[in-house]
Amino acid sequence: MADEVRGIRVSIPSHPRFLAPVRDLAAWSAEQAGFGREDTEAITLAVTEGCTNVIRHCYGGKHNERIDVDISFSTRALTIRIDDYGTFVDPASIHSRDLDEVRPGGLGVHLMQQVMDQVRYERNAWGGTSLTLMKHIQGDDHVLRSGELDG
Amino acid sequence: MEVTREKHGDSVLLVIAGQIDMYSSPELRAELTAALESGSKRLVLDMEKVEFIDSSGLATLIEVLQKLRGSEGKLRLSNLSSGVLAVFELSNLDQLFDIRATREEALQDDPA
Repeated sequence: MADEVRGIRVSIPSHPRFLAPVRDLAAWSAEQAGFGREDTEAITLAVTEGCTNVIRHCYGGKHNERIDVDISFSTRALTIRIDDYGTFVDPASIHSRDLDEVRPGGLGVHLMQQVMDQVRYERNAWGGTSLTLMKHIQGDDHVLRSGELDG
Repeated sequence: MEVTREKHGDSVLLVIAGQIDMYSSPELRAELTAALESGSKRLVLDMEKVEFIDSSGLATLIEVLQKLRGSEGKLRLSNLSSGVLAVFELSNLDQLFDIRATREEALQDDPA
């Protein structure tokens, strides 16, 4: 039987006040998918870091640009895609910094890479950047809830 | 996010509640700066009610830590939930910050 994919998609302004509701949606999705508490916290951290980087680096802190967040999940994985409408950023220029260097800033990419199974940057259809974050559901952390998804 | 401030001897205790992200970090920075400008060189943060922290929050705390170290001050964090502590650990910052299990422990003077 095909693994049914469910999800939710929102468009938000590039204002930091919208990070909390996006976290809430990500947490809801993670719980629906069957992730436990730790992985749900990891997913909310990753989506926050991804959106924050768009606001700060892609849009230069402007608060009236558009960010699309698509969260989809199945019984196997949860995938978050964050699209911006700025200028595509070369993935080769995106890297986490050396943690031995203690300074504010630069930790967002590192944290996303630490908590998600996949972090991928691509050019999207609008010339901006699409960031895909994926986390597999596995092991004891998975609570079988496929019946509840139909509710 | 809410921050309340209390004086405990030579220390200023800030009790933080809510989520610390790009939106609330400026407010946290302002509160911590105000505490520093009040003259105190010993800041203790009670983070029991901090539900979330991201790299923006970590950056704010690093800034304050660096300012305090420059003036021989001290910053202690206390009552971190497992989720919040995990973010520090993922960033290798659990070794940089003085993290205590309880507020009381964090407010204790260092042994002579």
